[in-house]
Amino acid sequence: MPSKTAIAGESVSSDFQTMKQAIVAIFPLSLAVVPWGVLCGSLAINVGLTPLQAQLMSLLIFAGAAQLAALTIMGAVGSLSSMFSSTFVISSRHLLYSAVFREHVRKSSFGLRCSIAFFLTDEMFAVTCAHIVKNKRFSPVYALSSGITFYVIWNISTFAGIVAGQHIPNLEHLGLEFAIAATFIAIVIPLIKNRSTLVSVVTSGLSAIILSIFMKEYALIAATFIGMICGYLTKDKESINE
Amino acid sequence: MNDFWLALAGMAGITFSCRYFFFSKTVSFKLGPKVTRLLSYTAPSVMTAMWVPIVFLGHQESGIDFITSPFLIAGVATVIFSLLIKNTLAVVIFGMSVFALLKVFF
Repeated sequence: MPSKTAIAGESVSSDFQTMKQAIVAIFPLSLAVVPWGVLCGSLAINVGLTPLQAQLMSLLIFAGAAQLAALTIMGAVGSLSSMFSSTFVISSRHLLYSAVFREHVRKSSFGLRCSIAFFLTDEMFAVTCAHIVKNKRFSPVYALSSGITFYVIWNISTFAGIVAGQHIPNLEHLGLEFAIAATFIAIVIPLIKNRSTLVSVVTSGLSAIILSIFMKEYALIAATFIGMICGYLTKDKESINE
Repeated sequence: MNDFWLALAGMAGITFSCRYFFFSKTVSFKLGPKVTRLLSYTAPSVMTAMWVPIVFLGHQESGIDFITSPFLIAGVATVIFSLLIKNTLAVVIFGMSVFALLKVFF
């Protein structure tokens, strides 16, 4: 926003200002997730869920990657255990975000901690961290505003996908899943800033291809673990000497 | 899907627990540097394990050749573009456009 309030107070107007900043910051990231939400909605209809069930997934789970993986497993008539284990592996990165915000929210009320946790996504974490770095303090108003904005857009796009999935048969043959690939490529490639991340990306990618031929149901989890361990075991500092 | 409600409750519980875990007052331990380092590779690994099969195995379902697969061509183009441009949204739009054009023309 063009106008900046210099007064750092608890007043309503500064809260409003913070809200506006948060919405502006998360908006482009929310747009990038639209095709993905559409895919989640239409895919859910395609694997045989009712529109209500499909919308409830986005309303209650609110985790794009986990939802898509679960829908793929549902489509392949996979087991609950494979669905839960893949959800846990995919969501485990949120443990890290939770640990980072811990010191900021520990003294807050139970309700506020629950709300911030519920709206904690990759995108919300990214913009809120940037806000902390800039303002040297954690703002619950900023975290919640950006999180809720993202939540609303995610659910609207899921709804659009549900409608489209009901009216356009075989929507998945249009290759909407490429939206996932494009989104993940756009997020992952800039993350590769050192050798260990490169190693983790390459090993998880290669093992994902090989494993999906032998054990489709657990390929995602196994490939993720292989990537994490290979990245962890790679030393970064030595790369400078080579 | 008979177990849908169970699946929904379970998944919602798992995702919320991961997000709330360290906010809990009963959790007194902190993540060590080793666990933090290990978890920092989760996001790139899991996302790669999802996009790589789409790009490299996407041709199988529709029965097209590997080399002329729009998944492969648009995927490689998106990777190259993401190395040149840092704007996430621009990269996604570019990748989707290339894919859509290939779908229309081939």
